[in-house]
Amino acid sequence: MAGTALVLEGLTKRYGALAPAVDALSLTVQPGEFIGLLGPSGCGKTTTLRMIGGLIEASGGRVLVDGRDVTALPPHRRDMGIVFQNYALFPHMDVAGNVAFGLEMRGMKRGEIAAKVQAALDLVRLGHLAKRRPKELSGGQQQRVALARALVIEPSVLLLDEPLSNLDAKLREEMRAEIQDIQRRLGITTIFVTHDQAEALAMCDRIAVMAQGRIAQLGTPHDIYEHPASEFVADFVGRSNRIAGHAADGRITIGDLAIDAPAPVAPGPVTVMIRPHRIAFTAGGAGWNEVRGSVRRVTYVGDVLACEIAAGGAAFLVEQPTRPGAPPPETGTEVRIAWRVADTLVFPRESA
Amino acid sequence: MRLPALLLGPALLVNLAIFIAPMANLAALSFHEARPSGGVGPGPTLATWASIAEDEYYIELVTGSIGVALGVTVLTLLAGYPLALFIHRAAPRWRNLLMVACISPLLVSAVVRTYGWMVILGDTGLVAAVLRFLGMAKPPRMVFNLTGVVIALVEILMPTMILCLLAGFGRLNASLEEAAASLGAPRWRVFMRVVLPLSLPGVLLGCLLAFVLTVSSFITPKLLGGGRVILLATEIYDQAIVTLNWPVAAALSVLSLAVFGLALLLYGRLLRMVEA
Repeated sequence: MAGTALVLEGLTKRYGALAPAVDALSLTVQPGEFIGLLGPSGCGKTTTLRMIGGLIEASGGRVLVDGRDVTALPPHRRDMGIVFQNYALFPHMDVAGNVAFGLEMRGMKRGEIAAKVQAALDLVRLGHLAKRRPKELSGGQQQRVALARALVIEPSVLLLDEPLSNLDAKLREEMRAEIQDIQRRLGITTIFVTHDQAEALAMCDRIAVMAQGRIAQLGTPHDIYEHPASEFVADFVGRSNRIAGHAADGRITIGDLAIDAPAPVAPGPVTVMIRPHRIAFTAGGAGWNEVRGSVRRVTYVGDVLACEIAAGGAAFLVEQPTRPGAPPPETGTEVRIAWRVADTLVFPRESA
Repeated sequence: MRLPALLLGPALLVNLAIFIAPMANLAALSFHEARPSGGVGPGPTLATWASIAEDEYYIELVTGSIGVALGVTVLTLLAGYPLALFIHRAAPRWRNLLMVACISPLLVSAVVRTYGWMVILGDTGLVAAVLRFLGMAKPPRMVFNLTGVVIALVEILMPTMILCLLAGFGRLNASLEEAAASLGAPRWRVFMRVVLPLSLPGVLLGCLLAFVLTVSSFITPKLLGGGRVILLATEIYDQAIVTLNWPVAAALSVLSLAVFGLALLLYGRLLRMVEA
């Protein structure tokens, strides 16, 4: 199956006089691409998804599927498969009935429907549960029925609205891999809405990080994580030390410390962000920032050792994998910590 | 016996004394014969039941009452369903207000509402005046006949119907309709395949109550029927109070009880079907 290109042009949703929920959002999704809309609640990601699916009307802008403007079409003529957060399985139909619904609406013949339903249920490994009612299934099974129901109509675009958020942690990881496998195999263009950054990083080809109805950054998971475009993105995706500093004369001062930035920074107040696991208990060298501080707190969780180091009036969280024969440092001792200059993220502070 | 069971005792006794015993008494009365003077003859005898079974008037009374009740039930459902659906879908802060607005007619007794309809539907009433204004020379009669009784009963039963429908709409939710639409169902098919089937428990409950309340309705057919609309309840009243034929009144009461029983049985069967 060849994927479909999806283009959003200046998509906008306003509710009354409030700030727009989605503000002139533009996005080009390649055929077969798996795009994540990632952001905190209220950032407009679900509103965007619902406008793509036609479940709510756009206040402005266009949705194009393979170049065709579908903005004015009602949902039943958009040919998109939607998986809802609560699955929205029809409680009065069995599993096969749920999956068959979309095919019946397309006026397909009975024999053909039965074959397609069986194939779709086999795809999600639920072929043996066709006669069950939704309420007799576990959360993960319901999720797979919802996926099969959305996929069986061979939609041009698959829309996933926080599909994993109602599952427990272990099941979530399983379903993550399963959805990804199916998506790759079918090559179906997919929009995936989530507030879980790990989910987005693990599953998506590209991620659009959203804030206040706009895309704060669009990029591959690697881009988003390694080169966040703003303090918001760095903070929302992955964990970071967030330290107030001041840029002057090409260097950054944090209290009585001075460190290097990877690129020239305009003078003024800045926020320095460093991933905790990129800081090590080593001496620095060329291309490294090195700081001396005292150990304030040690947290040992088996696979990871987390230490809080006080230096320059700031607190640096350091996370390192534990190693045999390397006992954790004692509280109160003086240590040297260092990280690569390239791992130093510097953003001008908006409100000093 | 354990204590919880014993605690049921008082309520059981009261029920036996003031509900079950009179009913049994009533049933027993139907196996006596009426005397011309208005007294009750010795029993037991099947004469009263036989006279009812042979008299076409009573057969028509029972089938007619059931027919009218079914008609009123269907009309009440058609009138109440869209309103109930609208209230169910309204935003939470509006929902309570709409509910209260819908149910508030229950605060006014059926007697008052029936008199209200007599004024509105009367020969010089609002509806007739509007029809005359629109150019109808001779508006149809709407009081002291079945038309008026049906109109008033539908209005009187609507709050009950709407309450029942809302109680039965629990499984309906917006995302199911959205899911159906996303799978290619136009609005009418969403309604037929998702909304209607999921609302059937409420429909059944509302229909059961509307049917039973119509069969047992007395004041509205009595006042608005003007003696021309004779239903089970009004006939029982006439037999017991006017004709003083208590055995026939008792037999008709037992018959209407049997009709309720059948309706309840049917309701149970259908409910199990739609909830399966």
